[in-house]
Amino acid sequence: MTSHWIDMINADVVMICGSNAAENHPISMKWIRRAKEHGAIVLNCDPRYTRTSSFADHYCRLRSGTDIALVGGMINYALQNNRIQKEYVANYTNAGFIINDGYSFEDGMFAGWDGKKYDNSKWAYELDDDGIPKIDRTLQNPQCVYQLMKKHYKRYDVDTVCKITGADKDDFLKMAEIYTSTHKRDKVATWLYAMGTTQHTHGTQNIRTYAILQLLLGNIGMAGGGINALRGESNVQGSTDHCLLFHILPGYLTAPTTAHVDLKTFLEKTTPKSNDPKSANWWQHTPKYMVSLLKAFWGPAATKANNFAYDWLPKRNTVHTHMHIFEEMFEGKIKGGFFWGQNPAVGGPNSNLERAALGKLDWMVVVELWQTETATFWKRPGVDPKTIDTEVFMLPAAASVEKEGSVSNSGRWAQWRYKCQDPPGVAKPDSWVIGMLVKKFKELMPTLDKTGVPEPLTKLYWNYGDHDEPDPHLIAKEINGYYVKDMTDSKGVAHKKGEQCKNFVSLTDDGSTCSGNWLYSGSYNEDGNNMARRGPNDAMNNIGLYPEWSWCWPINRRIIYNRASVDLEGRPWDPKRWVIRWNQNLKDGKGGWEGDVPDGGWAPGTVYPFIMRPEGHGCLWATGLKDGPIPEHFEPMESPVRNLMSSQQNNPPAYVFGTKTMVGSTEYPVICSTYRVSEHWQAGAMTRNLPWLAELVPDAFAEIGADFANRLRIKNGDRLAIETIRGSVEVYALVTNRFKPFMIDGKQVDQIGVIWHFGYEGIVKGDSANLLTPHAGDANTAIPEFKAFMCNVRKVV
Amino acid sequence: MKALLHDMTRCIGCRGCQVACKQWNNRPAEETTFFAGPGYQNPADLSAKTYTLITYNEVEQNGRFDWVFGKLQCKHCLEPACAAICPVEAITKTESGAVVVDRELCIGCQMCGTVCPFNVPRYDEEGDGKMHKCWLCFDRLEAGEVSACAKACPPQAIFMGDRDEVLKEAKRRIAAEPDKYIPDIYGLEEAGGTCVFHISNVPFSALGFPTDVPKEVIKVARAEIIPSLNGINPAAIAASVAVAGVGWVIKRRTELEKNDN
Repeated sequence: MTSHWIDMINADVVMICGSNAAENHPISMKWIRRAKEHGAIVLNCDPRYTRTSSFADHYCRLRSGTDIALVGGMINYALQNNRIQKEYVANYTNAGFIINDGYSFEDGMFAGWDGKKYDNSKWAYELDDDGIPKIDRTLQNPQCVYQLMKKHYKRYDVDTVCKITGADKDDFLKMAEIYTSTHKRDKVATWLYAMGTTQHTHGTQNIRTYAILQLLLGNIGMAGGGINALRGESNVQGSTDHCLLFHILPGYLTAPTTAHVDLKTFLEKTTPKSNDPKSANWWQHTPKYMVSLLKAFWGPAATKANNFAYDWLPKRNTVHTHMHIFEEMFEGKIKGGFFWGQNPAVGGPNSNLERAALGKLDWMVVVELWQTETATFWKRPGVDPKTIDTEVFMLPAAASVEKEGSVSNSGRWAQWRYKCQDPPGVAKPDSWVIGMLVKKFKELMPTLDKTGVPEPLTKLYWNYGDHDEPDPHLIAKEINGYYVKDMTDSKGVAHKKGEQCKNFVSLTDDGSTCSGNWLYSGSYNEDGNNMARRGPNDAMNNIGLYPEWSWCWPINRRIIYNRASVDLEGRPWDPKRWVIRWNQNLKDGKGGWEGDVPDGGWAPGTVYPFIMRPEGHGCLWATGLKDGPIPEHFEPMESPVRNLMSSQQNNPPAYVFGTKTMVGSTEYPVICSTYRVSEHWQAGAMTRNLPWLAELVPDAFAEIGADFANRLRIKNGDRLAIETIRGSVEVYALVTNRFKPFMIDGKQVDQIGVIWHFGYEGIVKGDSANLLTPHAGDANTAIPEFKAFMCNVRKVV
Repeated sequence: MKALLHDMTRCIGCRGCQVACKQWNNRPAEETTFFAGPGYQNPADLSAKTYTLITYNEVEQNGRFDWVFGKLQCKHCLEPACAAICPVEAITKTESGAVVVDRELCIGCQMCGTVCPFNVPRYDEEGDGKMHKCWLCFDRLEAGEVSACAKACPPQAIFMGDRDEVLKEAKRRIAAEPDKYIPDIYGLEEAGGTCVFHISNVPFSALGFPTDVPKEVIKVARAEIIPSLNGINPAAIAASVAVAGVGWVIKRRTELEKNDN
């Protein structure tokens, strides 16, 4: 989230699109309800009328996989009707940036396609002689982003949009009118999304459409605004921040590739540069964060002489997303695996393939609260255990309340949690398991190592106390960072070895500080454990920041990009709900900011507000993505219809593994989507083992529209077979008026939905919906296309 | 006197209340298959194991489709017929507003169930052989807390407080948004008034709420146990209780018997 949960109360319009917040994030409704109390309008887009729709004031349906068409239509509505926040757009976004002549867009293809990938230099900014992007803040230049965008989205007229999405024209127009009403300076809308947006072969571009709209309306950085991903697990924000994904190191530093041959090359290639004196280009500090991270990894063994042990970091030469790993496992290229809080036998796409892939491992270790489907894949229904050679080790894990540590929520708040009881039996915290592994590795590496480089493990700095379980406070202190020797900083202030760094501004690239994650620097400094704070008071602007409740990255800034919430003079666009403002009386008349922690203390208008971008502006136009600078509608890999926008059916660089494009198949004519319910949690181990929750939703089921069910002579409670090219499931049919057929370009198309929580373990069991889903994923992130694929439906007799 | 307000325009049907109720009151799960009622409803009905139950109602109104979530539970009548009829005075209308069954005294005769206009008290056939129902988390009220369901509700669709304050709040909400709410407060007059109120954007009849409940207090006289040779079999006790009720109760009993058959 660019803002946080409580901030939803400040919104005038709340859009919930690509999220079923009421069901999957019920607590969001506490804040949205309070927004409604002071007159906020809640909008919801979803293929199905959900518990969220029932809470909304206006509902607009769309066919799964057509978000870009829908929101592209809203962008067009805003541009054609001049419903934009002009000053914001001209000064704070890259609307005025001139794009080089190499750019073109024809029949669904952007310039630079070589048959496999895009050369995105074709979409780059035109630079002046000083290497600074050329900007026309009047937005008149035909080659500026604003004009290119206006031309691009003109094609997304209301009729085309409704033909593609199946949205009702009146619903769409009403929604566009209400949402774009927040283009006024002091009106603001928030956009909430989740996996309904991301789980598509064009998921990143789906989100881009929301971001573009929010920037055009001047809603980013404002109280009650922002673009807000509702994270699907209680600590998925924290685990991503701390490098859950293969391509990043902690704090979103780049994970080195084989091309980054040494530290110097790595830092040169991954540190963004800007020649524009008004660009803060915050990532210019990458070397300080990287060296401090290496110091945290290898402590005293990381020295200037050995490039801070950079050589000991593993380098990648390919992509290792979830699907890539399982494809390689299936091919027998992976020998063993740890499955830690993850249950791919239920949660992974194309689970037939993924379950079979597990059987190619020599060994696997499952660290879990319950015996999951992954742990018992070798005796799953229909499989003879004798045919599987994998040796499986099951390690019982402690639950979150049985250990101490921090949890980061969607709003970037790191909140400290205390242990409330001992884990049952021999169950241990994950960190205990890791600690014991490290201990054993260190002991065995010198004799077992065949690489000749045992140091990555033998020299690993593991300084978390004397107990088998690492002390969470010592880990948190290291993440924050501390001085590893006596030193005097650039301002002449002396620091002692062992002193906690105040925040990431203290970090250095000369080896005198360590920090396990620069983004969290400030969370546990000399003031103490700031994540454990429970200060009940709001800040002076009274917009629900509660700055002394827990701690939030970066640097306790509750609403990021907040320099965009004020004009060039530092005056809030919205004086009633101001986030920061410039007060000339502060600092003995030199002036200063008050309110939230600003995105840098520079005086108003002197530095561009989007400080994490080298160009310093909010990106209507994105030059760094793999599939285009602005979003264009493509159909899901499997679709009932051909693409009405161009002859290019699918997103060209999407990741596909054996999944073939499917258009209007008569064998698989029905759109299917997978989703969750309030009553179950992810792959179900944590809820299908609890009788109270099992009681509420005891069986796997699919929702099917009453009209469609009638045609198939299916009654509520009948058994339903759902088949895709990959697999089939048998589930109960819930017949409902909440799903209705779509008219897509004159053709009637049905959509169903099936919950994916079920499997063959637990006190309630059922077929896993992921037996149906494809190994196809987003071009940038490779998140699988769980939300739109084609199936056949029949009654089981 | 405390009261509880369930605002259906706020309820998201997440069933946090249903689980919190089972947890606080230590009620076991029921075995279910698929769904036992419209939408995601489970279990089928209130029972000795389930004191509160969320219902899922697909409603078409003025051309607008909606999905509205009802909440079944004891309404905690101001003058509860269940307490009046109980032959052993096991049911009390407490000062806190909660109508509480003392299961030390309860003999499981089920008379309370027969006179309840909302069909709430349930006999625990598998367990202790006594009557069970929502008791408004009387133990929590005594400790100055709100009920478990109110505490758990994420969108704060359940509101608890002093009865006159709660009623004032219900009226305020309806007055503030007359286009959204229907003008009625369920529980204001039903059975002479209750301590559980519902407000809604669709008529209560569309949600399966009993709408034929008399507006006045249901007057029944205390039942007497007639000595019987049948011993203490609860069913036999029920059969041997002399009821001194009037019109509506008789009608209700006949209906229930009809349903049973």
